[in-house]
Amino acid sequence: MDRKLIRPDSIDEALSERQKYGLDAMPIAGGQSLLVLLRNKLVDPKILIDLERLAELHGLQRQANAISIGAMTTIFTLASSADVEKAPPLGQAATKVGSTAIRNLGTIGGNVCHNEPGADLPPSLLALNAVAELRSKNGTRKVPLGEFFRSYFETVVGPEELLTRVEVPALPNEATGVYLKHAISSEDLAIAGVAVVLIPDGNGGGAVREVRIGLGGVAPVPFRAAKAERALAGAVLKDEAIREAAQIASSEAEPMTDPHASADYRRKMVKVLVRRAIVAAKEQMERKGNGQA
Amino acid sequence: MAKLKLQVNGEEIGIEAKEAALLLDVLREGLELTGTKRGCETSHCGACTVLLDGMAVHSCVVLAARCEGKEITTVEGLSQNGELNELQRLFLKHGALQCGYCTPGMLMAATALLRRNPRPDLEEIKIGLDGNLCRCTGYTGIFEAIQACAQGGRS
Repeated sequence: MDRKLIRPDSIDEALSERQKYGLDAMPIAGGQSLLVLLRNKLVDPKILIDLERLAELHGLQRQANAISIGAMTTIFTLASSADVEKAPPLGQAATKVGSTAIRNLGTIGGNVCHNEPGADLPPSLLALNAVAELRSKNGTRKVPLGEFFRSYFETVVGPEELLTRVEVPALPNEATGVYLKHAISSEDLAIAGVAVVLIPDGNGGGAVREVRIGLGGVAPVPFRAAKAERALAGAVLKDEAIREAAQIASSEAEPMTDPHASADYRRKMVKVLVRRAIVAAKEQMERKGNGQA
Repeated sequence: MAKLKLQVNGEEIGIEAKEAALLLDVLREGLELTGTKRGCETSHCGACTVLLDGMAVHSCVVLAARCEGKEITTVEGLSQNGELNELQRLFLKHGALQCGYCTPGMLMAATALLRRNPRPDLEEIKIGLDGNLCRCTGYTGIFEAIQACAQGGRS
């Protein structure tokens, strides 16, 4: 039986199809991962619900205290948007997703819903305290990204729901952020991906009010290294403290061994990348004039 | 089955295809445009790269139904009046191919890059071709041909 393709023109219509077909159907965003899964027969839905025609899911809007990103916004748009530059490290992460052709069609919604270990956007979205907007015929709910990912390739999105937007709260102007990716080839998923956001305390003494560390590729789901964050909150970022925090972050990882890297190697790379990312974000902070004199 | 109306290399073509058919299959099997190569079929190698409204895409991960109303350009659309275009001539001149299997994809990725950025530096060329693999490892010649094209074919 050939697979059926449904191409709704509105979110309401798409949600009706979701409700009608449940697990027999899968929504298709950019298709850059799903069409590979279909080709390899890893999933075999009877029906694809194409989200491309849902105009309101395309593009991003700058709001007073947030950037609201439609789920169908392409990675290319994210990587080239001036608004996203105000949400480091998201823009940097967007340039690291797959290859040019994948970024041209791949979407933020597909990236987070697919939840493949090593995806580049989730660590940054976590570090930015992003919130997912999920809609179904029964209404809308908002889920912080920290509660969105459930396990390998699993999220909280229900069979009748669609991810419609990702809201990224604005950072204070003086905040800085960095995303670092470790992969063998540039188009690979991250063996380890680290996003760091630093928010200075504003007293000019080089101390940070908040350090946020998002990790990808090193546990069943992307997550925030909360213990490492706590170790640095309120501190002046001295080399020794940064090294210790990187060690703590490494111990928070629960990586798996796969053909790309061993669990042990991934854990070691977390330590290296967290240190490098914090140092790079700290240097940015100092250049912005918020560091220690 | 679905009836699709596609704009391919400047020509409007009607074709019947499976509802969820891939652009790669429609181009090669349906339209016999076999310049677009079937490689990994998992969006890694770039042998199937075509332009969709001027953007490089891997046609193995594009639904053909989504291409209606968009301009598709394949490698067959590069030559003009039976003559290779400048980029194609420079690929020949710089020996930018060995087995040739990646060449159509490389040409399409390079065409998209040069349209977006007519004067790319080497780093920008490498990023523009990051979705295209050459397993003969002939990248140097490919980069040289694209740089030469960016400089107006003078080198």
